Amino acid sequence: MTETRTETRSTGLYAALGVVVVLLLGAATRFLEKNVPTWFEGDFAKAVEYPVYAIVLGLLGNAILTATGWRERLEGGFRTEFFIKTGLVLLGASINLKVIVTAAGPAIIQGILLITSVFLFTWWLAGRLGIDDKLRALLSSAVSICGVSAAIAAAGAVQAKKEQLAYTASLVIAFALPSIFLVPWLASVFGLSDEVAGAWIGGNIDTTAAVTAAGALVGEDALAVASIVKVTQNALIGIVVIALTAWFAFRIERTPGARAPGIGEFWARFPKFVLGFVAASVIATWYLSTVSSDEGKATIAVANDLRVWFLILAFVSIGLEFKVSSLREAGWRPVVVFGSAAVLNLVLALGLALLLFSGFTV
Amino acid sequence: MFSMECMTEPPTRQESRTQFNEDWAATVIGLLLLVLVIVGVIPPGLIP
Repeated sequence: MTETRTETRSTGLYAALGVVVVLLLGAATRFLEKNVPTWFEGDFAKAVEYPVYAIVLGLLGNAILTATGWRERLEGGFRTEFFIKTGLVLLGASINLKVIVTAAGPAIIQGILLITSVFLFTWWLAGRLGIDDKLRALLSSAVSICGVSAAIAAAGAVQAKKEQLAYTASLVIAFALPSIFLVPWLASVFGLSDEVAGAWIGGNIDTTAAVTAAGALVGEDALAVASIVKVTQNALIGIVVIALTAWFAFRIERTPGARAPGIGEFWARFPKFVLGFVAASVIATWYLSTVSSDEGKATIAVANDLRVWFLILAFVSIGLEFKVSSLREAGWRPVVVFGSAAVLNLVLALGLALLLFSGFTV
Repeated sequence: MFSMECMTEPPTRQESRTQFNEDWAATVIGLLLLVLVIVGVIPPGLIP
């Protein structure tokens, strides 16, 4: 009993130390973001934005902590999901409620079409390659909905093993990291408007933190649309998870006396931060209607600074969390499945973004 | 059939619970910070 308590206390202490590491790397990111453009002349230094510094510093920190044997102990403090969700709630404050309402329609259509086609393709391909049903469910949910959060939700629904979840999460991050830079670059090569680029990023990149990083690299309008599209996909997790729970209970495991999941299960799986995102937009839209334009802008700028801090902490955590070892353990088949699905997602999301968001303005 | 020998850990109920607690925590903290900014407790210039 005493041993367990001591163990819990030291785990908590290490997690707190992990948070301190994230905060220090976040502060370093902010420092570099502000000072590098003054140290170097030319456009390149100015073009490098905070997601790049944050991810690179996170990966460097990861390498150092892994080499010194501290990474595993501190990883309880690398709360990517918490940081990104808090950042997204604050992001809601800078998006007018009217924009959310206008974009919700196309975002829901895009979400349903993308999730259905990419999920079914991944499920089929993984089946053809003989991958375990639970891992199939995790891979399909992660690549079609919203990366790590979807994998966690699906893991709960199908009772997946911890290692399967760790492996899927590593795959998500391994694919998301290059996408953060690749998709904004392709968007500029194709000459896409910020809104279409945002819809493409939100529809294509899996994990919410990476969507936000890529959106921020393109610009504020792209970030707004990318976030709305991704938040909509997040909200659809509940439906997919219910379908998976029922499918595994009735078709795969054939649990005797299994009950169909109901509205309670949907609410339990619903990502509550989506409500926070909309609530922040409602509060800020109301607030801006009660004060002068200058006062309103100054106040929302403070909320934006806080949002950037939380996003930086999330991007640093992405770098810190990345693990190559669990990828090596699982072999090539899931990588092929995930890669093929990512390519399909990239092409479909571009088509749908062009179709649904051309002419859309923030 | 794809397999991983070391898959002996229990299911991930705990992870999903943590996940949903983080959801509420992020919602409450994000909205609280926004309210603090609006009422002026966190003034312009305070955030580095």
